[in-house]
Amino acid sequence: MRIVIAEDSAVVRAGLAEILADSGHEVVAAVGNADDPLAAVGEHRPDAAVVDVRMPPGYTDEGLRAAITIRRDHPETGVLVFSQYIETRYAADLLGAGSGGGAAGVGYLLKDRVADVEEFVEALNRVAAGGTALDPEVVTQLLGASRRDDGLAALTARERDVLELMAEGRSNAAIAGILVVSERSVEKHVGNIFSKLGLAPSDADHRRVLAVLRYLES
Amino acid sequence: MYAPNDSAGSSRSVLMRFLVRSWEYRRPRLWVSVRVACGIFNVVLGVLLLASVRRLGPLAWLAAIPLAGAALIFWTVYRLQQDSVRRVRELEQSRAHLVEDSAARLRRIERDLHDGAQAQMVAVTMKLGLAMKKLGGMTDGTGHTDLDRVLELVVAAHRGAKEAVTELRNLARGIHPPVLDQGLGIALASLAARSDLPVELGIDLPERPSAAIETIAYFCAAELLTNVTKHSGARHATLEAVHVPGLLRVRISDDGCGGARVQTRGGLAGLAERIGTVDGRLQLSSPPGGPSVVTVELPSHT
Repeated sequence: MRIVIAEDSAVVRAGLAEILADSGHEVVAAVGNADDPLAAVGEHRPDAAVVDVRMPPGYTDEGLRAAITIRRDHPETGVLVFSQYIETRYAADLLGAGSGGGAAGVGYLLKDRVADVEEFVEALNRVAAGGTALDPEVVTQLLGASRRDDGLAALTARERDVLELMAEGRSNAAIAGILVVSERSVEKHVGNIFSKLGLAPSDADHRRVLAVLRYLES
Repeated sequence: MYAPNDSAGSSRSVLMRFLVRSWEYRRPRLWVSVRVACGIFNVVLGVLLLASVRRLGPLAWLAAIPLAGAALIFWTVYRLQQDSVRRVRELEQSRAHLVEDSAARLRRIERDLHDGAQAQMVAVTMKLGLAMKKLGGMTDGTGHTDLDRVLELVVAAHRGAKEAVTELRNLARGIHPPVLDQGLGIALASLAARSDLPVELGIDLPERPSAAIETIAYFCAAELLTNVTKHSGARHATLEAVHVPGLLRVRISDDGCGGARVQTRGGLAGLAERIGTVDGRLQLSSPPGGPSVVTVELPSHT
């Protein structure tokens, strides 16, 4: 996989490059501000771009805006945004931005997740393949702030676990692995969740993430 | 540090402080009253002298002395008042400067933490994570070799470093939430999203208040929302923020059990104190049985 990194902290940039190289990926460009990743993505056409939210010159959300632009202009590149802080609004902006054509992968993770190397690389793979990777904290916040108490209350504890993992963007196989159950029973839980929440069933992982998020936010 | 026999000493010093302060406050007022009384006396004397100008004959000019004295006295009283008005204005300015300065300093500390310690710690967790992965591939899993022991140590260090990253993040956010740099409205929306109960937002902020005011408003909203979640038993809360020229009003209402009071040393008293540093005010309406409404009014600029 070919990857562009945009991160202003040199130590974190070097660490990321090391982790990705070690996992057999190629870092084609590593830049330190929010303008360069647009140029780098245009030039290298990578499979994925990893972008920090807070970057020079303004140190607010330059990286997020760059990510939204990449998503719009380069739908073939998956964008993984990561940040020291989780702001649910950013996730909404990023997912809502959509892409120019087709299904570009998108992810939003807390910087801490990089510490768990394998999980982070797995999330990046998912994003590069057109899937979704949402930080568990985003999902927790969405669930906590959701006004759809009645629908959520109807779920069993296990269905809620499945819902959380599904909202993070994980596939049925991955959910089965994490909860140590069979894929068949995950499918059953997913079916129950969709019918209890009154959502139209959806097979594609990223589309069902969107359905769940829209449900929680409405 | 707080020995029992300290209390007698501290109560004495409090009494002394009270006496000194009341003297400090009263003395100028006393002098002003004495001066005004003297001034009036001089005016009366001057008028009497003028009235008896015929009897005084060539000494009629004596009437000018008390009148001139009265003019002098009233002029100094006026000067004194002007002085105190100027002094209050100076104090207000220096206080505003302090408030803005401390807000800017907190922003700087947060930025330094973000660029320094937080980034370094994230890099450490990444290196430890990588080391864990490599070691995991090398050990045989029996738990008896040195390599297993090393893996255990790295795993423990990794866990500790991750906890440190989380603690640092919470610390930095408590000092200055970075999202506030993008405006109070966005910061409040993010606060509402992070809240444990559904919060309805009503934001009307056509212009940005000054940074220090935004910070105070944000932390008030954060603490009030936490109170609602912790104590009110509410199912919903509403957070409104309206900025009209000169005044920022933040209002938080909930459908909880009510009965909230401003207690000495309580959270609300602390908030009221903080709001007071910029001449804002806090109003609480919380009858038993609810609903509770807390309104915070702040000037647009310090």
